[in-house]
Amino acid sequence: MAVQIAPGHRNGLMLRNPVMTASGTFGYGIEYAPIVDIQRLGAIVCKGTTLEPREGNPQPRLAETTAGLLNSVGLQNIGVEAVIKEKSPIWAEWEVPVIVNIAGESVEEYALLATHLEGVAGVSGIEVNISCPNMSAGGMEFGSTPQMAARVTAAVCAATSLPVIVKLTPNVGNITEIASAVAEAGVHALSLINTLEGMVIDIKRRIPILGSITGGLSGPAIKPIAVAMVYKVAKVVNIPIIGCGGIVTASDALEFIMAGATAIQVGTAHFLNPNAALDILNGIEQFMEHEGVHDITEIVGAAHRCD
Amino acid sequence: MMQLIAPVISNKEVTPGMYLLWLHAPGLALQAEPGQFVMLRCGEGCEMLLRRPLSVHRAREGQIAFLFHKVGKGTEWLAQREEGDTLDLLGPLGNGFSVNPAAQHLLLIGGGMGIAPLVFLADKALERGADVTLLYGARAGECLYPEALLPSGINMVTITEDGLPGRSRSVVKKGRVTDITPQFFSQTDQVFACGPVPMYRTLVSQIKSLEKPLQVSLEIRMGCGVGVCYGCTIKTRLGLRQVCQDGPVFDINEIIWEEV
Ligand SMILES: Cc1cc2nc3c(=O)[nH]c(=O)nc-3n(C[C@H](O)[C@H](O)[C@H](O)COP(=O)(O)O)c2cc1C
Ligand code: FES
Repeated sequence: MAVQIAPGHRNGLMLRNPVMTASGTFGYGIEYAPIVDIQRLGAIVCKGTTLEPREGNPQPRLAETTAGLLNSVGLQNIGVEAVIKEKSPIWAEWEVPVIVNIAGESVEEYALLATHLEGVAGVSGIEVNISCPNMSAGGMEFGSTPQMAARVTAAVCAATSLPVIVKLTPNVGNITEIASAVAEAGVHALSLINTLEGMVIDIKRRIPILGSITGGLSGPAIKPIAVAMVYKVAKVVNIPIIGCGGIVTASDALEFIMAGATAIQVGTAHFLNPNAALDILNGIEQFMEHEGVHDITEIVGAAHRCD
Repeated sequence: MMQLIAPVISNKEVTPGMYLLWLHAPGLALQAEPGQFVMLRCGEGCEMLLRRPLSVHRAREGQIAFLFHKVGKGTEWLAQREEGDTLDLLGPLGNGFSVNPAAQHLLLIGGGMGIAPLVFLADKALERGADVTLLYGARAGECLYPEALLPSGINMVTITEDGLPGRSRSVVKKGRVTDITPQFFSQTDQVFACGPVPMYRTLVSQIKSLEKPLQVSLEIRMGCGVGVCYGCTIKTRLGLRQVCQDGPVFDINEIIWEEV
C-alpha cells in the first residue's frame, strides 16, 4: 500500500501506507505508543511547532459540538529547540517517518524554523501550517491570500532540503486559488483541511464557551466540506494531496482518496479511539481486497472519472 | 495505560442523581492508584466525540468502580448502562495522590462528588494500617453518599448545608466542610482534598499558616486524557501543566487560584 508523498523531491517521501496522524491530535507520537503500534502508521505529523515555546490560549479550550470538536489550544508547544533536543532522537530510532508541523508569525520565522530542522536525524519532512495569524499583516491568516501563501511556501522550500507539505486552511473564499499559488511556489504536496472557524455560546451565562471566543472546528461535522475541498483542489494541482477533516472510519478515508487524496490524516478520531488510524488502515486493506483493488493509486481520484 | 472493553456488573443510583458503576476490568483494577482517572467512551458512534474522565472510585478483586453525577449528555448515557452492557475504557491516567508511606494520620476532605477518589484513597490507606479521617460535606442530607458503602474503620465527620442527615445514621453538622477543617489539621501528617474550586480557595487561606502538605484533585474539560491535545493546560506557579498528565493531583500551593 506504499504511496509517494513527494514525487518531486529526490527521496520521494515514500510511506508504507497512506494513513497518517494529523498534527495536534497525536502529540509527538510517543504518548500513544503504549497502546498503539505506531510503527505500522504511514507517517506521524507532530504537534505544531514554533520558534519559541508558546503558552497557548486561555481556558476553556475545548467544546464538544454535534459530531464535532471546537478547540482553541492556540498552538501551545515546547518550541523547535526542545523538539530537536528531546523528541527527534526518539524518532530517529523509529521506522515510521515523522513530519514536523511548523507555524510562524512572519515569513522569516517560517524559513528559520525550516533551517533549524535541516539535517536533524528523525525528521522526514516539514508540514507548513499556514492557518496562523500573520502579525505583520494585522493578524490575517498566512493562508488567506495566494500571495502570502506563496511567499511562505517559497521561503520554506528555499531553506530546507527536506520534502515540504503545505497545509491549507478552509477559512478562505476560494481554496483552489491558494492551492495553485502554493503549488507554483514549489511545494511537494498539499494537506487539507485544517479546522474551520466556529463558536459556541453558553446560553445560561450568555457568554462564549471558549476562552478565546472562537476556535477551530474538527471532527465528522466538517467531513463533507473537506471532501469537497480536496475534490476541487485535485482538479487544479498535480502534486499529491493529503486529505484530512473528520475521518473516523475507512469509508471516510476512501471518500477522500476517491476525491483525489494520495494519503489521509486522522485527527480528532484519536480522542475517541486511539487506534483509529490503524483501524482505518485495516478497513482500507479489506475494502481493496473485497473490491479487487491491487494498488491504492488505482482509486486515487476515482470520483473524478464520472464528471 | 490500557484500552479495554469492560462488562458492566452493576449500575445503581445510590442517591438522587448519583450513580455507582461497577465494571469487570482486572488489568485496570490492578494498575489503578487512588487519584488516577479513566476516560470512558460515551454514546454510540460519533454521537459524543470526547470520552468522559472519571476518577477511580474503588478497585478490588478484578473490578473497578466509578461514582458519577448525572450532569450532562455523557453521564446521562452512562447512567443508563446496565448489567451486561460493555464500556470502552482508557486508563489508568494521571499521577494520582502521592501518599508518604510513613504518614500514619491522613486527613481527607471531600466536597460533594469530591468523595469519589477519596474512598479509594481511604481503602488503600486503611489496608496498610494508617488511620484515616474523612471530613465530608454535601449540599443537602439527601445528597450524601451512603454510609454503608464506606470502608470500615474510617473516622467520618459529615456536614451538610441544610443540616439534615438524609439516610445517614451519624450526627450531621450544619454548614460547609471548610467550617470544620481547621480543627483537624494539627493532628494529621498529610491532607488530601477533592471538591469544588470555592472549597479549595477557602482551604488555601486556612492552610497558609500551617505548612501542612495538602494535595488537591482538579477537574477540567479534557480532550485526549493522555497529553497530546493540550486542551487541559493550566498555569501554575511552576509553569504550564497539563491536568491530564501532570495532574489531576497537585499541591494546593502550586495552583494559581486567582486564575482557575
Ligand atoms: C486539539 C487539536 C489541535 C490541533 N493542532 C494543530 C496544529 O498544531 N497544527 C495543525 O496544522 N493542525 C492542528 N489541528 C488540526 C488537525 O491537524 C486537523 O487538520 C483538523 O483537526 C481536521 O481533522 P480531524 O477532523 O480529523 O480532526 C489540531 C486539531 C485539534 C482538534
Ligand atoms: S486532555 Fe489532552 S492534553 Fe490533557
